[in-house]
Amino acid sequence: MSFLCRFFVSEIMDTSNPAILVNGNLLPMHVRKRVRTVIQVLNSERGSVIGKSTDDQQLVIKGSPPSTPLTNFVEVIGIADSDKSIQAEIWTNFGDNFDASSFNQLCQLANAEYQHLFL
Amino acid sequence: MSINLTPNSIAAINGGDLNLKPLVQVLDIKQIGTSQERYRLLISDSVSTHHAMLATQLNDRVKTGRVKKGSVVQLIDYMCSDVQNRRIVVVLNMETIVLDCDIIGNPKLGDMTAQKTVSNLNSAQPGRSVYDNRGNIQSFRPAFNAQNPGSNNMQGLQTNPLLQSQGMQGSRPMLMVPNGSNGVLRSATGKNNNNTQTYAPTVQPAYQPPPSYRNQGPIMKNEAPARVIPISALNPYQGRWAIKARVTAKGDLRRYNNAKGDGKVFSFDLLDSDGGEIRATCFNAVVDRFYDVIEVGRVYLISKGGLKPAQKNFNHLKNEWEIFLEAASTVDLCPEEDGGSIPQQQFDFKPISEIESAENNSILDIIGIVISVKPSVPILRKNGMETQRRTVGMKDSSGRSVELTLWGDFCNKEGQNLQELVDSEMFPVLAVKAGKVSDFTGKSVGTISSTQLFINPDIPEAHVLSDWFARIGQNSAAVSISRDVVPSGSKNEIRKTVSQIKEEGLGRSDKPDWVTVKATITYFKLDSFCYPACPLMIGDRQCNKKATRSGTRWVCDRCSQEFDECDYRYLLQFQIQDHTGLAWVTAFQESGEEIMGYPAKEVYQLKHEAQDEARLSDVFRSRVFYPYLFRLKIKEEMYADETKVKITVVRADKIDYSSETRHMLDTISRFRRY
Repeated sequence: MSFLCRFFVSEIMDTSNPAILVNGNLLPMHVRKRVRTVIQVLNSERGSVIGKSTDDQQLVIKGSPPSTPLTNFVEVIGIADSDKSIQAEIWTNFGDNFDASSFNQLCQLANAEYQHLFL
Repeated sequence: MSINLTPNSIAAINGGDLNLKPLVQVLDIKQIGTSQERYRLLISDSVSTHHAMLATQLNDRVKTGRVKKGSVVQLIDYMCSDVQNRRIVVVLNMETIVLDCDIIGNPKLGDMTAQKTVSNLNSAQPGRSVYDNRGNIQSFRPAFNAQNPGSNNMQGLQTNPLLQSQGMQGSRPMLMVPNGSNGVLRSATGKNNNNTQTYAPTVQPAYQPPPSYRNQGPIMKNEAPARVIPISALNPYQGRWAIKARVTAKGDLRRYNNAKGDGKVFSFDLLDSDGGEIRATCFNAVVDRFYDVIEVGRVYLISKGGLKPAQKNFNHLKNEWEIFLEAASTVDLCPEEDGGSIPQQQFDFKPISEIESAENNSILDIIGIVISVKPSVPILRKNGMETQRRTVGMKDSSGRSVELTLWGDFCNKEGQNLQELVDSEMFPVLAVKAGKVSDFTGKSVGTISSTQLFINPDIPEAHVLSDWFARIGQNSAAVSISRDVVPSGSKNEIRKTVSQIKEEGLGRSDKPDWVTVKATITYFKLDSFCYPACPLMIGDRQCNKKATRSGTRWVCDRCSQEFDECDYRYLLQFQIQDHTGLAWVTAFQESGEEIMGYPAKEVYQLKHEAQDEARLSDVFRSRVFYPYLFRLKIKEEMYADETKVKITVVRADKIDYSSETRHMLDTISRFRRY
């Protein structure tokens, strides 16, 4: 998938600590696990960012975003600490144009019948 | 063993019974006629005899000996006509039951047909009437008319099966019986003689009360006007008929020359109130009578014409028959009130979206809004004649647009009209009757000689269409089915992998295959990536034929001209690869430029003039390993003695990740089901 290509380009591939692709609805299934998702930034403050998941749920991303300004869409990787929040370790700007619905479908496929390809 | 012939069948036939299908014996066969080969039989029912003419389609029965003197035959199909007070029987179809047989019974030669009568038959007019025993007229038209000079001329003009071989075998003529009652014949067919074997006829006639032979008064000819019947009921076995119809198309007067000399012909199309359509054709002298009388749009009462099978190559009307008018035919102009129920034209419009699935060379009617008109271009035809061609873009509410190609006169007349309307932004409705589908570049429609164009016709479909255009259509995009480029995402796009090209044998049928493949360029062929092209213009297009060196200049074979500078156009050969395999493809100018990013001339100069090998290989190397969505045209072609599958890149699109992802998700969802 084209999204995976972008992931591999933007970070050093570390297969020892895989993160599960989630959206708002899938996050509760993976609390206390390492997850990754893309959110649309709604509100950005020191210490936390409120974002909209690709399935229109509001998520809280805790942690310190990078010094560079955040673009409209951001990918975060971190530990899910509740149903609706992630403690982010890695932040990546995904630009202002993003196909949210395709990403959403990717999350669904990655957690259902094609799980084995991702973990 | 002796055979019983159908008793009194001669009298019955003469009396007008055409349904008897009797067994008779052929006593004599004589060849008659100087210009045409005709056979005259002497048939007997064991008591009386009569002469019967053999329809020419049965001539070979005599020639091959399937019917001889003494043969017992069953007359399946026959007609009676009255010519100068003589009753002539014509056999249209018969079955030989016994080939060799001694003369049965003691037939008296009751009907000495003179040579004179036969020659009268040869020059007889159509529309003869026959009398049955009660003096009622039953009109018959002999469906064949070998003597008609008009039909003979047509053989030179078109490959027209002779009227005689119309396939009348086995079919029974329909009688137009004004008051349909026949009398009763006492027949002895029921009785069997113990000593003789009754030979049952091979075809059982349907039950019909046989006619009576009571003589009643003088015989009178029926002068009542023929009944008007619907065009759809016309057939060659019809008795006297008349149709009332409007002329929807009038063809040109055409002159021709064949073995019989010069001739002229013209045709016109007719439409009646039931929606039936038929073409009528006139030859030679008949042309002079009717050419000026016939006007498009007017209603005529037409009668006493012949009927023959329609030529599907030229006649696209929905009728298996065509009328041919002769000396005795009548064409009478009707007042307009009479034709009130007859529409001006009959269309069977197909939405433009359906043209995509239409068969190549099929004929159809379309209606659409004209959105573009290109200027006329002179085209050299195969026969060396030059004609004009003009392309018109049309779209309709199906969301598709199509190119309509106008040929010849259409370019100057309707084409010019359309151009002016489009230029002044008054996008007109155009209705096309009888356009031909072509699959040369995508699917397009072209005019043929029988095409008719109607600009802004006053028909409901036109009003609906202009309404749609005003509200929605002028701002909506339409997908063109006529370019060889089909934008990705449209329903037509067929996705294949590289290996599927070979596996599925694409390109091997007589039409090229158009597919889309997502693949990456892996290797360029560096030598001869372009060719010198003729830059001269032919109409609105550049010639682009390969130019050859002529001293310091260049020359083009097609344009027969020399020029100093040639254009350089891409002829790029490269390898593409995906996860399934690799293939060699060729890209021409447009897609070549898209891939290379530089015009061919620049790259050429880099190679040949600057001789900069390093930079040249850099340019190519920078273009390799890029993925594209290739639109490919795959076709098998002959090279010397071999056939090779050639793949042409018609278009190379950079990948749009968003739509490509959606495409993949869609594919995955379909894969999911297995």
